[in-house]
Amino acid sequence: MSSALWIAVLISALGTLLMRLLPLLWMQRRLARQAGGDGPEAMPQWLSLLGPVMIAAVFGVSLMPVTPGLLSWVATATGVLATLVVWWHKRTLGWPVAAGVAAYGAVVILAALFPTP
Amino acid sequence: MNLDATTSPGRPWLAGMREAFPLLGGYVPVAISFGLIATQAGFTPWEAVVISTLVYAGASQFLFVGMIAAGAPLWLVVAMTLLINLRHVVYAPNLAPWLTPSRGWPWLMHGLTDQVFALAHARLPQLPASQRLGWFGGAALLAWASWIGGTALGALAGGELVARWALMGEILPFALPALFLVLVAPRFTSRRWSLALGLTVLVALGLTILGFTNLAIPLAAACGALCFQVVKFAPARQEHAKGDRHE
Repeated sequence: MSSALWIAVLISALGTLLMRLLPLLWMQRRLARQAGGDGPEAMPQWLSLLGPVMIAAVFGVSLMPVTPGLLSWVATATGVLATLVVWWHKRTLGWPVAAGVAAYGAVVILAALFPTP
Repeated sequence: MNLDATTSPGRPWLAGMREAFPLLGGYVPVAISFGLIATQAGFTPWEAVVISTLVYAGASQFLFVGMIAAGAPLWLVVAMTLLINLRHVVYAPNLAPWLTPSRGWPWLMHGLTDQVFALAHARLPQLPASQRLGWFGGAALLAWASWIGGTALGALAGGELVARWALMGEILPFALPALFLVLVAPRFTSRRWSLALGLTVLVALGLTILGFTNLAIPLAAACGALCFQVVKFAPARQEHAKGDRHE
């Protein structure tokens, strides 16, 4: 890798780090300035709104199967349903994920074992 | 939300690692792909690992090596890489109210990816203040290590791994949407939130299907936030109109 390419990597890395770090320092100063402002109510409303919608957006993007196709979408729907059902009953973090992956995997493996003509 | 992993007071970092474990299902296969693609694009395994270690931002790394391989000017490569990562600016401020005074937090921000943010945003408010730094450190470091390890694996043996474990490479990444679903589901607390979050998910998925993966997160989030704001005013206007018309 040339020197110029190394510099490009370093600028990209530093820029990404600063985008993650500087807003934190800004927010911490803002919280410190406000009397008793160490809670979420001290955040600007638009910012507290962005947190949940960003997570929902990341969820939406992640729903795209690795190899899109009818089978993958059926497996995705099955996995989502299994995750939701287990989450509804247990309200935990790990079991619903395990159930979702197992359901998704079951559909993919069954389809591989019994291919349709 | 209850916990599967109990946060024992002495080892919050271990609880963080345990709770971040599902992330590996998504991280490792993608990191293997990155390692493989980077070496195919002409980078050495060592260079691929350095990029994953320093930049540590999935989508932008793929773009970086892809544009370099295509011969794009370096300034454009850097600009596009940073543009894709711009969404990260809203993550840390959302966590700030729950971060304890410590010099460790700024260093740990290097590990604040989309996935770690989603996990931390749900979990940090539930943890005692004394455990948050350790918990976040454990979760972020495990995710980072898996990304670096996956890249090395992909760069050194990616072709063989993909050929031999094709099915696992297809199944394991579902851990990511399953985890995000568990993180987002408790937020469907009202019709207003449900509409905004549901719209966000659909727009993000739609844009991804159409091939606009890099734009999907910020655009979908903007749509959801806009929807949330608009819906707030709709009932008031309706009520007003209702009163005017005496319906």
